[in-house]
Amino acid sequence: MKTHVKFENVTKQYNLGLTRTSLPSIISGWLQRSLRQDASSGVQSRSFLALEDVNFELRPGESLALVGANGAGKTTILKLLANITKPTSGSIYMDGHLSALIELGAGFHPDLTGRENIFLNGTILGLSRKQIASQFDEIVDFSELEQFIDTPVKRYSSGMTVRLGFAVASCINPEILLVDEVLAVGDAAFQQKCMHRIRDLIGKGTSIIFVSHNFYLIQAVCNRALYLEKGKVKNQGSPKEIIALYEQDLHQKRTAKLENLAHASDDETGDVEITRVDVYGTQSTESGSLVNNQPVQIQIHYNAYKPLGKVHVSVFIRRSDGLTCCMLRTKLDNFELSLDRGQGTVSLYLEPLQLITGTYYAEAWFLNESDSIGIVTRAGRSDWFSVKGSVLSYTDDSGVFEPHTRWSHQPYLPSSGNGTFAETQPVMTQLT
Amino acid sequence: MLIQARQLYQSRDLLSSWTGRNIRARYQQSALGWLWAIFQPAAQVAIFSIIFTRIVPVDTGDIPYPVFSYVAIVPWTLLASSLTDMSQSIVTNMGLVTKIYFPREILPVAAMLARLMDFGIALGLLFILMVIFRVPFFPPALIFLPLILIIQLFLIVGIGLGMSAANVFFRDVQSLLALGLQLWFYASPIIYPISMVPERLRSLYFLNPMAGILESYRDILIYQRLPGPYLIQSAVITMIIFVIGTWFFKRVEFRFADII
Repeated sequence: MKTHVKFENVTKQYNLGLTRTSLPSIISGWLQRSLRQDASSGVQSRSFLALEDVNFELRPGESLALVGANGAGKTTILKLLANITKPTSGSIYMDGHLSALIELGAGFHPDLTGRENIFLNGTILGLSRKQIASQFDEIVDFSELEQFIDTPVKRYSSGMTVRLGFAVASCINPEILLVDEVLAVGDAAFQQKCMHRIRDLIGKGTSIIFVSHNFYLIQAVCNRALYLEKGKVKNQGSPKEIIALYEQDLHQKRTAKLENLAHASDDETGDVEITRVDVYGTQSTESGSLVNNQPVQIQIHYNAYKPLGKVHVSVFIRRSDGLTCCMLRTKLDNFELSLDRGQGTVSLYLEPLQLITGTYYAEAWFLNESDSIGIVTRAGRSDWFSVKGSVLSYTDDSGVFEPHTRWSHQPYLPSSGNGTFAETQPVMTQLT
Repeated sequence: MLIQARQLYQSRDLLSSWTGRNIRARYQQSALGWLWAIFQPAAQVAIFSIIFTRIVPVDTGDIPYPVFSYVAIVPWTLLASSLTDMSQSIVTNMGLVTKIYFPREILPVAAMLARLMDFGIALGLLFILMVIFRVPFFPPALIFLPLILIIQLFLIVGIGLGMSAANVFFRDVQSLLALGLQLWFYASPIIYPISMVPERLRSLYFLNPMAGILESYRDILIYQRLPGPYLIQSAVITMIIFVIGTWFFKRVEFRFADII
């Protein structure tokens, strides 16, 4: 059977010691060493194994998810596939036209317009101008950027850039598509559209390699997953199995850390870690959307690895296009919060939610006692949640929130007889 | 080398869009725009004309000094500005190089092609100058002008590719290039005629490929004669430089993305 991609014993080593190359620093290094008369501590070129003996294969129409912590080697695999770098040893076999979406806006030039960038990016991906011209309308259509196509890309929001990038990369019908986390930036509706598009491509025989921390997306798109740990393939199997395994490992690591006093704190997680942020509604629609006039609860689950005493929490609610809708802080609400070693949940109640129809996520931070310095190394982020308000779709002009409202109307009555308006004070209705 | 040429041909659309991007980016915020293509060499010619006709007279025979120096300054500017842009082309586009694959030569070669447009504009002014100063036209120039230009472009690509790649690893290359161009300027027949170079040093002098190239431009454009054997010598040296430059570039291009 035909193979699109094959990795055989691939190892990639990066040299970290290359930074020290200037002559003055080399000479001063020599001097320091000869003064210390310590010949052994030479310039050690530290190296770092990003990938070690990785093997896998990908057939047409297969989609593979790469799962693993940051630094496990996911991006290195994508870079090797995209031909950006070469393996230190081992061999990579590739067959087919490749389209890569390694990073947000890669291949876009900020000063050029959307239109010019479609051509530039398309030609970078190996298409001729003619081919791009024939697909141009489809690309623009998919990106939903008709209005902005002659605007320089530097004025685009990150969501718009991703939309354009995905539109170009996917509309050229690649045989192999690499997608790296970028879809997390787009809004939920566009994500859905991308998922459809990816499934279409898979149906046509495109192989996909997908990197995401969003396990829902992985399960929706991929039929296989590769679990990477410190550059090695730890396991492979169905996405469901692998994700379960990964979450289990993550949980074990956290529990071990909680139990082990000696390693109570490290740089990777800090003293406190937000393990999950959940958003619940007391009532939701059939499709799972929250309802804007109903109460909503945001839960922040944390692990504290040492007693922290008084802390503060900030929660941001952000809309899919990146707009911060509100910032809610324990400090401002005079809520006292003190953390001991262990796990717990901080809950925030919005009664009611009051956001308009749209897609949002919540982001949570722990801050120190004076509410000035963040004490988590990474913000906790909820999954996207959609809200159903009274308007079904929103435009840029419809604002962000829908407060409880009531209207009234008091016309000034014309004075009887001559048809002119009375020059009397309008009657104010008492608002109760 | 052939594979490389084919690859470059296959990416000609990318090459032309990137060249266009370079030109647009250069002139976008500039008031004079493409007029700079004439302005820069014209200003240099004005300065040299004052120095070398009034202060330290240089004998250029029947040829008026402005025409004499402009003929050489225009191709020299093509070389100097191309090499400067090319040496920085990879480094300034690291964001692209580390994230997406395309033939890497595109970046330096497009930087040169963007400068080639300036050359074309400046050459236009040269023909106007020749009419004004009544320098007769030499018909074989129609064949020789493109030929000499092609040799010069090969020279630029050879050096430029090497410089652009080396600059990724050592930023000293940029500073070194600026210094090198200054020395090279005086080692080439730009502001003085070759007749001022002592006879016994000539063979050494023509090891500089730009010497033969610039002298050939003068031969066909202002002296109405065919270039001497030094053009062949320059072409041979150019090819050697071109092969070394592209070989080096190809050898290290996959390490670009690993430099953090």
